[in-house]
Amino acid sequence: MRISTSMIFEMGTSNLNDLMSNISKTQEQISSGLKIQTPSDDPVAAAAALGVTQAISMNTQYGVNRQNANDSLGQEESNLSSAVSLLTSVQSTVVAAGNGALDDSQRQDYVTQLKSDLSQLLGIANAKDSQGNYIFAGYQTQSQPFTQTSTGATYSGDQGQRMLQVSPSRQMAISDSGATVFEDNPTGNGYFVTAAGTGNTGTGIISQGSVSDMSQLNGQTYTLTFSVDPSTGDTTYLVNPPPTTPATPQPFTSGDTITVGGAQFNITGAPADGDTFTVGPSTNQSVFTTLTNLINTLSTSGEGAVNQTVMTNGLNAASANITNALNNIAAVQASVGSRMNELDDLDSQGSDLNIQYTQTLSDLQDIDPVQAYSSLVQQQYTLQAAQQSFVSISNLSLFNYLNT
Amino acid sequence: MANILNIAQTGLFAAQAGLATTGNNISNQGVAGYSRQQVIQTTAGEQNTGFGFIGDGTDVSTVQRVYSSFLATQANSAQSTLSQYNSYYNGISQINNMLGDSSSGLTPAIQNFFTSIQDLASNPSDTASRQSVLSTAQSLASTFQSMASQLSSDQDDVNSQIQGSVTNINAYAQQIAQLNESVAAAQSTGQPPNDLLDQRDELVSELSQEANVTVVNQDGNYNVFIGNGQPLVVGDAAYQLQTVPSSTYSGQLDVGYKNANGSLITIPESSLTGGNLGGLFQYRSQTLNSVQNSLGLIATGIAATFNAQNTLGVDLNGNQGTDFFSEAAPVVTPNTNNTGTAAVSASITDASALTGSDYSLSYDGTNYTLTRLSDNTAVYTGATFPTSSIDGVQLSQASGTMAAGDKILIQPTANGASDFNVLITNPSAIAAATPIVTAVSGTNSGTATISTGSVDSTFTSATVATPVTLTYDAADGTLTGFPSTMPVTVTANGTSTTYAAGDPVPYTDGSTIEFGGAQIQISGTPNDGDTFTVSSNTNGTGDNRNILAMSALQDADTLLGGTASYNDAYSQIVNEVGNKTQELNVSSTAQTQLLTSIQTAQQSESGVNLDEEATNLIKYQQAYQASAKVMQVANEIFSSLLSIDQ
Repeated sequence: MRISTSMIFEMGTSNLNDLMSNISKTQEQISSGLKIQTPSDDPVAAAAALGVTQAISMNTQYGVNRQNANDSLGQEESNLSSAVSLLTSVQSTVVAAGNGALDDSQRQDYVTQLKSDLSQLLGIANAKDSQGNYIFAGYQTQSQPFTQTSTGATYSGDQGQRMLQVSPSRQMAISDSGATVFEDNPTGNGYFVTAAGTGNTGTGIISQGSVSDMSQLNGQTYTLTFSVDPSTGDTTYLVNPPPTTPATPQPFTSGDTITVGGAQFNITGAPADGDTFTVGPSTNQSVFTTLTNLINTLSTSGEGAVNQTVMTNGLNAASANITNALNNIAAVQASVGSRMNELDDLDSQGSDLNIQYTQTLSDLQDIDPVQAYSSLVQQQYTLQAAQQSFVSISNLSLFNYLNT
Repeated sequence: MANILNIAQTGLFAAQAGLATTGNNISNQGVAGYSRQQVIQTTAGEQNTGFGFIGDGTDVSTVQRVYSSFLATQANSAQSTLSQYNSYYNGISQINNMLGDSSSGLTPAIQNFFTSIQDLASNPSDTASRQSVLSTAQSLASTFQSMASQLSSDQDDVNSQIQGSVTNINAYAQQIAQLNESVAAAQSTGQPPNDLLDQRDELVSELSQEANVTVVNQDGNYNVFIGNGQPLVVGDAAYQLQTVPSSTYSGQLDVGYKNANGSLITIPESSLTGGNLGGLFQYRSQTLNSVQNSLGLIATGIAATFNAQNTLGVDLNGNQGTDFFSEAAPVVTPNTNNTGTAAVSASITDASALTGSDYSLSYDGTNYTLTRLSDNTAVYTGATFPTSSIDGVQLSQASGTMAAGDKILIQPTANGASDFNVLITNPSAIAAATPIVTAVSGTNSGTATISTGSVDSTFTSATVATPVTLTYDAADGTLTGFPSTMPVTVTANGTSTTYAAGDPVPYTDGSTIEFGGAQIQISGTPNDGDTFTVSSNTNGTGDNRNILAMSALQDADTLLGGTASYNDAYSQIVNEVGNKTQELNVSSTAQTQLLTSIQTAQQSESGVNLDEEATNLIKYQQAYQASAKVMQVANEIFSSLLSIDQ
C-alpha cells in the first residue's frame, strides 16, 4: 500500500498531539485533585455530586440550627431553674410564716421577703436572651410580656412556641410561652379547689382534699353552708346545689371526712353559724396572682382566733397553689432538658451523616492519586517513544542515498 | 535510419516530460488537494517494413492526475459529518464549562440563599439576618442573570457563525463557478487541466466543511446542490445564500436564498444537515434553546414558590407579604408570516406543571391546535381559542383573531432566568410570620389544645379583623363563634364537610377546621364552655413559622410535576449537557478516525511519495540517457555510413 509523504508527517503529528493533550488532561486532574473538570468527564457523577453537595450543606445548616436551639433552650433552662429555686424558697417561707407563735410584725418581715421574691420572679419572667428578645413572650419577642398589677400580673404575650428545623424531619420548639410556664397553674389539688368563705367568723379550716370518685367530678361548684343550732350547739351543714342524695342538713364533727360530688375533704375547727365553704373545679391561676394573694394574706393581721383561721386557710391555699406552680415549671424544665438531650443525639447523627456524605462526594469526584500518577508516567513514556520514533522515521528518505 | 533518430527523439521528449512531471510532483508535494500526476505514454504507431512491424517510438498522450472521485465523495461526506460534530461540540463545550464551575455555579448560590433563610429562622426580628437574606437573594439573581446573559451571547455567537458560514459558502460557490468556466475553456483543447481540476475539488472539499452538498458532474461542470435541492452552482453561474431572520424564533437567524422572482425563501433547518451549519443548527435547537428554557424553569419555579409563600405571611411591620422575586412572563412570538390580527399573551398559572418545552399554537381555519414542541404532542385541539391552563401556562387573546395558517410560538420559560430579580428592598418586608395566632383560654377546664394555625392563599385580614372566639357546647358537641359570613370546612380522616356560614360546627377530635382561609386543628377533650381564640398576629416579631415554611422549599419537590427540587432540576441540566458533550466527543473522535482512514486511502492513491518520485527521477534520467545514447549511436552509424567512400 502506498503512503504519501505528507501522510507520514500528518499522522505522526496528530498522534503526538493526542498524546500531548492526554498528558495535559492527566496533569490538570492531578493538580486540581478532581477527576471531573467539566460535567462531560463523567455526567452521572457530576449530577450526583451536585446532590451530595446540597445534602452536605443542608446537614451543616441543621447543625447550626441545633446550636441556636441549644443556646435558646439553655437560656430558657437557666431561667426556669432560677424560678424553681425561688419558688422552693417561697414554699419554706409559707411554712415558716404559718407558725402560730409569730406576731404581725414578724410576719411583716416575711411579707417583705415575699415582695422581693415577687419582683425577682417577674424579672425572670421578663428575661431577655442574648439578642434582646423576651424569652417568655411567645411570638411577641420585642414587647415585655408581664406587667405587674395590684392583683398579680397581666400577660400580654401570646401562646406561640418558636420552632426550628433541627433535622430534615424534625421541627423542635425552642421556647415556651409565658402562659405555659407562669399562667396555667391549676389551683387546689389539680382537680378541685376548696375555699373558706370570705366573711366567715368561725374557726373552720378546710383541707385541700383528694378525689374519691373521678366520674362525679363534672365541673360543678358546691357551697357548704353551716348552721349552728343555738340551743343544742349542734353544727350542721347544707350542700348547695345538692348532690344526688336529697338535701338534708348533715351533722358536722370537726375532722370528719366530707364527700361531695366525688371530692373528699375535711373541716377542722368550729365553723360559726352562716359560715360557708366552697368546693369547685380547679381553674388556672397565674403564679403572680398566687404570690400576690399570699402577700395580701400575710399582710392582714393574724391576731385573734378568727384572723388566725383566715390566715391559715389562706396559707393552705397558697401552699397548694405554689406547689402546683412549682411542679408546672419543673415539668417545663424537664421538657426543655429532654429536648436538649434530643439535640445531642441529633448532633451525633448529623456528624455521622457528614462523614458519609463527604466520603460519597470524594468517591464521586476525587482522583485516585496512585492511579493518576502511574497514568501520567505511562503517558510520558509513550510520548517519548512516539517522539523518538517519529524522528527516526521522518529521516528516512531515498534522497539521502542519491549522491550523484 | 533517420527513423532511429526520430525514435530516439521521441524517447527523449518522453523522458523530458517524465522528468518535468516528476519535478512538478516533488515541488507540489505539500500543496493541499494536489493529486500526483503521471505521464501516460503510448506507442507512436508502427510501420510495416516487409520484414515486420517496427514501432515509431513513443508518444506522450497525456499527463494524468491520479484521482479517485469515489474516495473524494466519501471524504467530503465524512468531513461534513465531522464538521457538524465539531461545531456542535465547540458550542456545547462552552455551556459545559459554564455549568461545571462548582464555585460560581447555581448550586452554591441556592445553598447560600437557603443558609441565610435558616439563619433568619433562628432570629426573625434581627435586621442583620434579614439583610443577609436580601443579599444572598441578590447573588442568586445575579447568578441566574449572568448565566442567562452568557447563553444569550452564545445565541449571538451562533448567529454570527451562521453568517460566517454563509459568507464562506457563497465565496466557495463563486470560485467553483469561475473554475467551472476555466475548466470548460481549458478542456476544449482536449487535455485535462489537472491543477484547475485539483483546485476545484479542493474547493468542494472545503465547502463540505460548511454544509452537506451534492455534486453532480455534468459534462465536466460541477453542479453543486445544497439542502433539499437548492442549486448553489450550475455551470458557471453561482447562486448566493443569505441569512434571514427566523420567522418563528425572534432573534435567531436562518438561511435562505432569493428565488427566481426575487422573493426570499427560507431553507428549513432540517434539510441543512452536515457541516458547520448543520452543527450550529443542531446545537441551537437541541441544546442552547433547551438549556435556556430549563434554567428559566428553575428561576420561574423559585420565584413562584417563594412569592406564594411570602404573600401568605406578614412582615415585621404587620403588613401582608408581597412578591419576593419578579416572575418573568412567557415570550409569545407570532410567526412573521401570519396574516391574522390576533394579539395573544400568556401567563404562568402553575410553576410546578411547567415542562420547559416551547409550544406552538396554530389555526387551520377550523381548529386551534396547541403542540408541545419537545415531543410533538398536541396538548389541545378544539374549535375555540384555548383559554384553560395547560402545562402550567394559560393563553389569552386580547383582541383580533388568528387567520388560517397562522402560527404563534409560546416560550414559557425562555426569559425566566434573565428576568429573575429581587423585588424586596426593605429587610422588614420579608414576611417571616404567619398572620394568625391561636390561644387556649386560661379559664378552660377541659384538656383540648389548638394548633398554632396556618393560612392559605384565600386568607385575608378580614378573617381575623376581630378575634374569633370559638366556644364549645358540650350538649351538642359543637363549636360556635366562627365569623358570621364565612362557611366552615371540617376535614376528618380525609373527608371534608362544609357547613354554611353561621351554622354550628360539630367538634371532632383532631380534625382540621378551615374558615376564611385560616386553618386550625383542635384536639383533646374540651369541657362545656371552653373557648379557643384565633386572632391576628400583631406584634409577633419572634414568629418564624412562615420562614420555616420557606426554608422547607429547599428540598421540596416543587418542579416538573412534583418530581424534582430546584437542585434536582439543575442536576438534570448538568447531566444532559455533560452527556451530550461526552457523546459528541466520542462521536467526533470516531468520525475523525473514519475521516483519517479515508484520507489515508486518498493519499495512498493520489499523494506524492518522495521516495517514489526519487525512483522516477532515476528512471526518467536513465531513460533520457539511454535515448541520448541511441541518438549518439544513430549519429555514429550515419557518420560511418558517410565515411564508407573515404
